[in-house]
Amino acid sequence: MTSTFLNRENTVASPGYNRFLVPPAALAVHLSIGQAYAFSTFNLPLTKLIGITHSVSGDWSQKDVVWIFSIAIAFLGSSAALFGRWVETVGPRKSMFTAAVCFSGGFIVSAFGIHLHQLWLLYLGYGVLGGCGLGIGYISPVSTLIKWFPDRPGMATGMAIMGFGGGALIAAPLSILLMSHFKTAASNGVLETFVTMGVIYFMFMMIGVYAVRVPAADWKPAGWVPPSRPSPLVTSADVTVDMAWRTPQFWLLWMVLCMNVTAGIGVLGVASPMIQEVFGGRVAPAAAAGFVGLLSLFNMGGRFVWATASDYMGRRNTYMVFFLLGILLYSTVPTLGHLGSIALFVAAFCIILSMYGGGFSTIPAYLRDIFGTLHVGAIHGRLLTAWSAAGVLGPMLMSYIRDYQIGHGVPKAQAYSVTMYIMCGLLLVGLLCNFAMRPVADKYHYHGGDRS
Amino acid sequence: MKTRLVILWLAVGIPLAWGVTQTLHNALKLFR
Repeated sequence: MTSTFLNRENTVASPGYNRFLVPPAALAVHLSIGQAYAFSTFNLPLTKLIGITHSVSGDWSQKDVVWIFSIAIAFLGSSAALFGRWVETVGPRKSMFTAAVCFSGGFIVSAFGIHLHQLWLLYLGYGVLGGCGLGIGYISPVSTLIKWFPDRPGMATGMAIMGFGGGALIAAPLSILLMSHFKTAASNGVLETFVTMGVIYFMFMMIGVYAVRVPAADWKPAGWVPPSRPSPLVTSADVTVDMAWRTPQFWLLWMVLCMNVTAGIGVLGVASPMIQEVFGGRVAPAAAAGFVGLLSLFNMGGRFVWATASDYMGRRNTYMVFFLLGILLYSTVPTLGHLGSIALFVAAFCIILSMYGGGFSTIPAYLRDIFGTLHVGAIHGRLLTAWSAAGVLGPMLMSYIRDYQIGHGVPKAQAYSVTMYIMCGLLLVGLLCNFAMRPVADKYHYHGGDRS
Repeated sequence: MKTRLVILWLAVGIPLAWGVTQTLHNALKLFR
């Protein structure tokens, strides 16, 4: 019965189905898994499980706890790459259900790990199981949305991927609220919060499982006619996921995503100490936390705005804007710091973070333009390995160069300047890769009959 | 169909609006 409900053939929409019912289904999943961005709210409480108010002997260290998030992100990238083909085959409902079971199950296994005080169970629970839920959940609705919105693929995927950014905005205050609600003299409330969040997120993701539909094979939006002379960078052919790997276009897009994400993720990781150190004494820790919140809002908003704009500007032009404007802003930031202009400094980083989010949300539509719709979800899954690579590269570059500078006598307020210029270099590499993008050669196109 | 559309959008919109409000409240500390 359950299996029948989850099967792809039972998710085909009936004639007259309103396609605007599908984006909230995708949002229900992305808003849930976006919790991952707010996992750091648990880092400190997890180091005080025994001591409750402070860490005591036997409590886990911060160094060990941060691995939970790192493992989850590593498994996000690898599961998206590994299960992309399966997601395409079984359809969005079964894959969303699997994502819900993995993601929520990750919380429950982790809660059990807290109960037994076994850190490896958190690595396995939230890290491995939850990470697989993140990866499968992230790519589940992508190709479905692209098929429902052939006229506005950027807007449709932008709406869903905006949810991933928005998920952190919900999860951070929710985690704090739940921990303070469950806090007692004997517990700091993390265990109970994990169980509650596991249940809440499972139910919320079920909204997506219930509501998602795929369009019939011959469905088109009413009155929409595919352009007779599309742009050279918008294909009407298809490339399979196994063939896409072998094209230079896949690796150019991999570099485009990796460079764009590396630049943004490096800033996100150090935003709070950076603004405090650059404007030494003028920005209090509470105000710096406000800066991080503002960046999260622009990260989320940029996902929808830029992806929607890409439907009008074209995908390659949108990334050109990301890289050119990014280079301009990153190279100006050190001057803004020296001038002591907090408002302009904040404004520059808000635009940078909007383009970081925009890079994530525009890439599915760019893949659709280059490789067609046949395996776009699976190809997207494989491209997300660029995110995993950037997740290591960005923060590492940022902190390593800063420490090197301070170690060589550079004042803290100026230690970020060199990093900004290095980010410009990365964006230049991305710009060149994007500039080199050409249509996929015909020899890579799929000409077979079986489109499963 | 329209009722379902409204309910679904509210189901995802309300938590998102709550999260945005909370974050915005926090972000405003930067300008105080």
